Amino acid sequence: MTRPRLFPTQEIGSIARPRWQLEGQRGAALSPAAVEEFRRWNGKLGFAPPEAPGEAPGAAGAPVPAATVRDWAALFGLRYFESLGLDRVYDGEARRVEMYEAAVRQMRGFEFQGHVRSFDNKYYLKAAGTGPVGLDRPYHLEEFDFVRDHARAEPKVPVTGAYTIADWSYNEHYLGQRTGWKGRSVRRAAQREFVVEVARAALRPTLRALIDHGARVIQIDEPAAGTHPDEADLVAEGFNAATEGLDAEFTMHICFSEYRRLLPALLEAKRCAQWTWEFANRDGPDHDAYQLLEMFREYGDRRAIGLGVLDVHRDLVESPEVVEDRILRAVRVLGDPERLWINPDCGLRTRSLDVAAQKLAHMVEGARRARARFERPDA
Amino acid sequence: MDVAASLTGFFPRSEALVQATRDLDRGRARPEAVEALTRTAEAGVADLEAKLGLAPVTAGYLRWADLFRPFAESWGGFHVGPVTRWFETNTFFRQPILERPPERSAGAIGRLLPGATGAAPAATAKVLLPGPYTFAGLLDNRSGETSEALVHRLGRLLAEELRELAGQGYRSFQFQEPLLVVRPPAGPAAESVVAAYRALAAAAPGATTTVWTFFADATPALPLLKRLGVSFVGIDLAETDPAGLPHLELGAGLGLGCVDPRTTLREDPETIAAVAREAAERLGADRILLGPGGPLDLLPAGPAGRKLAVLPLARAALLGGGR
Repeated sequence: MTRPRLFPTQEIGSIARPRWQLEGQRGAALSPAAVEEFRRWNGKLGFAPPEAPGEAPGAAGAPVPAATVRDWAALFGLRYFESLGLDRVYDGEARRVEMYEAAVRQMRGFEFQGHVRSFDNKYYLKAAGTGPVGLDRPYHLEEFDFVRDHARAEPKVPVTGAYTIADWSYNEHYLGQRTGWKGRSVRRAAQREFVVEVARAALRPTLRALIDHGARVIQIDEPAAGTHPDEADLVAEGFNAATEGLDAEFTMHICFSEYRRLLPALLEAKRCAQWTWEFANRDGPDHDAYQLLEMFREYGDRRAIGLGVLDVHRDLVESPEVVEDRILRAVRVLGDPERLWINPDCGLRTRSLDVAAQKLAHMVEGARRARARFERPDA
Repeated sequence: MDVAASLTGFFPRSEALVQATRDLDRGRARPEAVEALTRTAEAGVADLEAKLGLAPVTAGYLRWADLFRPFAESWGGFHVGPVTRWFETNTFFRQPILERPPERSAGAIGRLLPGATGAAPAATAKVLLPGPYTFAGLLDNRSGETSEALVHRLGRLLAEELRELAGQGYRSFQFQEPLLVVRPPAGPAAESVVAAYRALAAAAPGATTTVWTFFADATPALPLLKRLGVSFVGIDLAETDPAGLPHLELGAGLGLGCVDPRTTLREDPETIAAVAREAAERLGADRILLGPGGPLDLLPAGPAGRKLAVLPLARAALLGGGR
């Protein structure tokens, strides 16, 4: 794909749902706060279509279908990123409830088992792979079509990776085919089969369909990769199986992991063009997180880096100077500014829309400042 | 051979309790209603354990937010920290932060146990507690104490807890110690663990004490585990290769984590029996305690119940000789 300029910027994942979307999707009458929020952001971004100029969905009295609310939310996400100056955008994952269940519901061979507690009173629904993996129909297509038709910047579609789908499911079918005691080595062999089948039978047809619909940049999200570092080779194998024979720019996003334990096995993901990782979360006065990039030099890997420069877990807004400094430190380690894309550590969903916008604006400005140093080295 | 079976960790909340606690967080349910539902769910787990012949009973520890939270919320020196991954799972706990040497708070833990909540009489219930090594290793220690001193101190404080709970009628205490096998201690750290467990053993003479390890191969830690002086040492057979166990006299009953909470697939009782025989023979154990290898709350309630039902079948297969 084309690199628009030095240190291009991109988003990574979801942003917070606006209140008007949450209330509007429920078919509820919008609260005054939701109406105000809609007006304020529409005033900034002008995302609402002409048929509802300046009004929140449903605010005028007539209920608006949930699908229309979701369309407007997707437009909001797009314009939110574009107005901040990002080079690659998506819709803030406005239509997705989460990144596992929606995908698995399109697949065959899975049965949802119930809820597992994540922590406190937070739970997630978990399925078991109970039969051979298949696909009812490729997913994310309508969502992507909408983005493709409305994006003004280059779209990048995020898709949950095969390893994460398998790891977040119980492996009943492939493990059950093995006889005898299900010790560690047996479980690992069965897990490998599960990952590869999710990749081949479900993810790859979806990626192919997305490409047929015009997707040129696809971010494979593998948040589970850090859970079992000794299975990094399975992450790579799943990535390769999912992307085999497909023509697009594939990136891999992993965050909050002990990255050192993932390499060099992860580098076997041969069709991955960009490693999009979190760094800012672990950067501080006493610790230069960007030294971690030295690993790529050690292993001779020269692929692009999606450089996390915003800590998504804190409201503290990084200054443009901090962002610039982080970029320049990364360049010093890598020795090549052309390899860097600039992004937040992860999705900014846990931050308010206002805080996230400030952070992203400073990220774009920090990238501009760093760019200027290379265009005008004396700056 | 003496063979028993028991729950060895937290049991998952029922789907009804999941919904109720979610509603509570969203302001759509009253705390009294959720408490009533919690008691019903605890009674349901206790009934299931009794029906399956599992003893002592746990009632699931459904009201515990995580293994450490009651301590982090009630003991002096602690406060509740950030959400932290629970080993190599997709579940999390809030890391306790220790700002100064810890102080026990009398009565704080006991009121969350089955005897106090009405789920089961104390004399028939099992007390699940964090083991001192895992507790010390997973908290954020800002107290200034060395990790060895902290293990020792937590052992003494937990020993005080045991004395109090023994006074209330509890006779079975199990310490959750995944870190002992995930990151086995050596040298002074190992000696601090031994000292901590000596304090624990002395605190409740005549009681059954169990150290339950999981999430990693127990083989490297066996020499240390046999020094702890507890009634039972539990190992996770999903991680520990029974054929790779050394021949040694464990000097304690052998806990075998033979039901794997990482998969919904039900284990074959005869296969469990065969594996258990091999492990018992290698470790010189004539008292066996069968249980889940790790906490069953890695599963939803339905599959967890079905997996639990394997235990009495495996016990019968083991006692029956089998193939």
